[in-house]
Amino acid sequence: MPVITLDYNDLEKLTGADKKTIIEHIPMIGADIERIEADHVDIEFFPSRPDLYSVEGTARAMRGFLGVEKGLCEYEVRPYSVEIYKDAAIDEIRPVLGCAVVRGMQFTSSSIKSLMDLQEDLHWAVGRDRKKVSIGVHDMTYIKPPFKYQAVDPDFRFVPLDFTEPLSMKEILEKHPKGVRFAHLVDGLSKYPLITDANDNVLSFPPIINGTLTRVHEGTTDLFIDVTGLSDAVYTALVIVTSALAERGGHVEFVRIINADGTDKLTPDMFSDIWKLTSEEVMDLSGIELSPKDIVELLERMRFGAKVLEDGTVEVQVPGYRADILDNSDLIEDIAIAYGYKNIKPILPLSATVGTQHPLSSERGHVRDIMVGLGYSEVMPFTLTSEKVHFEWMCRPVTDDVTCVIHPISEDQTMVRTTLLPNLMEILSFNQHRELPQRIFEVGEVVVSGKNSLHLAAVSIHASANFTEVRELLDAIMRERQTSYEIVGSEDPAFIKGRCADILINGNKVGVIGEIYPQVLINFGLGQPVVGFEIKLL
Amino acid sequence: MNISYELNDRSEGVTMNHQYNLTTNEKIVLIDLGKQGNLAPAELAQISGLKVETVIQSAFMLQEKGLVDVLEQVIETYNLTSEGEEYARSGLPERQMILAISGPTSLEELKEKVSPKIVSIATGWLRRKGWANIEQGNVIPLGKADIGDDEKALISLSNGEVTSEQLGVASSIVQELIKRKLVNRNEKKLRTFRITADGEELVRDGITLEEEIAQITSEMIKSGEWKEKKFRPYDIHTSPRIIYGAKVHPYQRLIDQMRQIFLEMGFTEIKGDIVQSSFWNFDALFQPQDHPAREMQDTFHLKGTSELPAEYKDKVRAMHEHGGEIGSKGWGGNWSEEIACKNVLRTHTTAVTIKYLADNPKPPIKAFSIDRAYRRETIDPTHTPEFEQLEGVVMDKGITFANLLGLLSEFYHRMGFKDVRFRPGYFPYTEPSVEPEVYVEGLGWVELGGAGVFRKEVTHPLGIKYPVLAWGLGVSRLAMLKLDLKDLRELYQSDIDWLRKTPSPKL
Repeated sequence: MPVITLDYNDLEKLTGADKKTIIEHIPMIGADIERIEADHVDIEFFPSRPDLYSVEGTARAMRGFLGVEKGLCEYEVRPYSVEIYKDAAIDEIRPVLGCAVVRGMQFTSSSIKSLMDLQEDLHWAVGRDRKKVSIGVHDMTYIKPPFKYQAVDPDFRFVPLDFTEPLSMKEILEKHPKGVRFAHLVDGLSKYPLITDANDNVLSFPPIINGTLTRVHEGTTDLFIDVTGLSDAVYTALVIVTSALAERGGHVEFVRIINADGTDKLTPDMFSDIWKLTSEEVMDLSGIELSPKDIVELLERMRFGAKVLEDGTVEVQVPGYRADILDNSDLIEDIAIAYGYKNIKPILPLSATVGTQHPLSSERGHVRDIMVGLGYSEVMPFTLTSEKVHFEWMCRPVTDDVTCVIHPISEDQTMVRTTLLPNLMEILSFNQHRELPQRIFEVGEVVVSGKNSLHLAAVSIHASANFTEVRELLDAIMRERQTSYEIVGSEDPAFIKGRCADILINGNKVGVIGEIYPQVLINFGLGQPVVGFEIKLL
Repeated sequence: MNISYELNDRSEGVTMNHQYNLTTNEKIVLIDLGKQGNLAPAELAQISGLKVETVIQSAFMLQEKGLVDVLEQVIETYNLTSEGEEYARSGLPERQMILAISGPTSLEELKEKVSPKIVSIATGWLRRKGWANIEQGNVIPLGKADIGDDEKALISLSNGEVTSEQLGVASSIVQELIKRKLVNRNEKKLRTFRITADGEELVRDGITLEEEIAQITSEMIKSGEWKEKKFRPYDIHTSPRIIYGAKVHPYQRLIDQMRQIFLEMGFTEIKGDIVQSSFWNFDALFQPQDHPAREMQDTFHLKGTSELPAEYKDKVRAMHEHGGEIGSKGWGGNWSEEIACKNVLRTHTTAVTIKYLADNPKPPIKAFSIDRAYRRETIDPTHTPEFEQLEGVVMDKGITFANLLGLLSEFYHRMGFKDVRFRPGYFPYTEPSVEPEVYVEGLGWVELGGAGVFRKEVTHPLGIKYPVLAWGLGVSRLAMLKLDLKDLRELYQSDIDWLRKTPSPKL
């Protein structure tokens, strides 16, 4: 989740409240404070609220929550003066475009940084690291509308941001740090997206890099914003950026987007959906009894527009930047947040129910009691292991019932175990320098051919560990479990030949028992004899 | 103890002095010292028939009681060094040399007859003892070489360690041999025991020797022999040897206590497979298919696929694509079956819970699970790729978010946290969501898990008609708190000493 740095000066100025009050209340609108520093606070906002990823957006929400200003924040959008033509070819590559012009900005180094941070956080949270959405912000001084969003040959050349010499788009992907990092997003395309002005000056090569011509600096007053991508999230990101700039006093203008077929569209669309809500719905989900009037007031604190209709329902205006509102439950959560979680009276549900433990748990509990009674201590190793430990070190052949992970995180965890014994051997190996005898067991799950199965295994290590010891142990367990069984000689390479047997119940093999083969002991770095067994319980 | 037989006929005197509270061994030692005067431990052991260690131990106990004095005398003894032993066998170097020649002989010639080392040592001593002169590289014997006291001393020392009295030569001779590094001087403490006046008085008054029982034997119990005998009092303050019993893993004990809380609160335990389809792990929970948590870097993906449940898959698709029948916006885009059927190691136990709710739609349902979940995390002290997750769900008619807070308060109180508070939270499949925090002495408010009401986007496509309240928490983190662990790995890759020494925890 993105961590947002909020500068106190900016935050106090834009909110109209002191920093202490703000910091105290921020967690109550849904955020985790990461660090409180001398001049700023770092806050982790939830991924559902990208509109809070800037000091401007946070200030807007806090003004409402603290009661400084309530209701919907309406931003004036002036008629369009800039047009942009969309090439037909771009529809195959990166089809969705939203633009805006914001004039009359007065930047400081800190407000430029805030804008850049917002852009990056949106790229990550809404844009899935620029794949779904990428944003370009341009100084309009040196460019001339109308603009053009097109698909061009990768050999097209221009000077990218932070460079002085022109590079072809292909070269940018190989040489420019941003090009290298985001090259995978245009992988396999025969033509690349490009935004140019009336004189073929380059604004940007979405989603990779801007041209150097439109760099934003402290003297910049008028901005052109392009947002390109694959889905409607483009429009949400555009509204979040433009409304943040409007909060700083910018004048927003529509941009007319003209499609290849002649149709057109004005962006940004700052106004959005109208929702309807009843007090019953609020009560049913939250358990808070509220009148429609109370609901309106609480919604206004959360910066929604709201009014009570004649039939008593509440009409809610959801601002365009609130991308998280999918249905009424999202509105009801905001009502509950405004009401204050601490003011909700916790009530236990009334239905009477009977608790039952799972048969697997009662089985495990029984076996655990037996094993501890027999002097074995329980261990709970990882279920992820490697072919090396599971098969190679056990001198056993690899089986075909193994669940392997596609991208292991380390060579120690490449598969889910199918047996417990290797895990127990590994624990003995970790404890070579601890006092002997060591007697341990595990009753735990393994995954065989994609399905869970419950196994029990135990090992004993000391100078005189032998088959008799483990044979007596198994016999005691079976008697305690009232299970008749038989053992028949078998060959398992993990055990010494002639001191190894299969355990059968009703003629079916359920496990193995024996003295561990010395090469296995050596593989696990052990210098004393080990005996053990493993059986499938369920 | 088996000393009773030799004691029976040694019983003497008639009265007992209780004031000193003597053990049988102490009584024996005292009686024998009373008869014999000063005795060394070995002598006393021989007379009393006790072991030397027992005699010493008893004598010291008697010394503490003022009945015996322990006298210590330092005596000097001598023994041969290894070089001394060699010369005791083959003669001093000067003796070897004088025996090897009959008239004037050159040193070169001598070095062939005896070893060069012997020659270089011997020449000085030949002159000093007046046995020979050395002129121009020739040794000229003077015809006189009597056996000296030093040679006699060497011979007597060759029988073993002796005191200077036993050696019987002038101390200057011994000093010379020590200087020649042929003899070692040793100091030895000689301990003897002597009865004190009080001790003598006690013996005079009479000490009764009677048999004491140490280890009770089967014969004693059966024969009734114990009725006539005294039980030797033991030193009950001796520190015990430290032993460890076999035990249930401390972490499992914590887990069982949590399971117990759920069972007491009327919840049914549920379990499921570790391998799950993406459908149940993500899609059924309304996790968008392009959500970062689903990617390779966070989730363990597997090679296989699972068949999608026919009764749910189209409804889940509709919910993702356009919000289904409930007026939600959905996520937009195309929902892919190919992505949904891919298998993963469950990233949360909710994959199991949601399927249970779909299979059991009749209210009320109260279910819980505490099981392992898998996330693609690099191992470090606070992260492991597998960990236990606790989860509780309640589905019932007319239950609300306020009931969730009620359940959470009750649950956390039973877990031993007196103070619980609630903050807004965010989880993709719940709305409203809440992050419970508990107060921990020394740490302050600690976030412990998450909770919420399942979104309709989750419940509706699965035919779940009533609200579902759910909460979960990472049990291993809680275990770190309760077991005071610095490293989570200790739970899974256990040090057997840690297991042996960690007391059974309590919630």
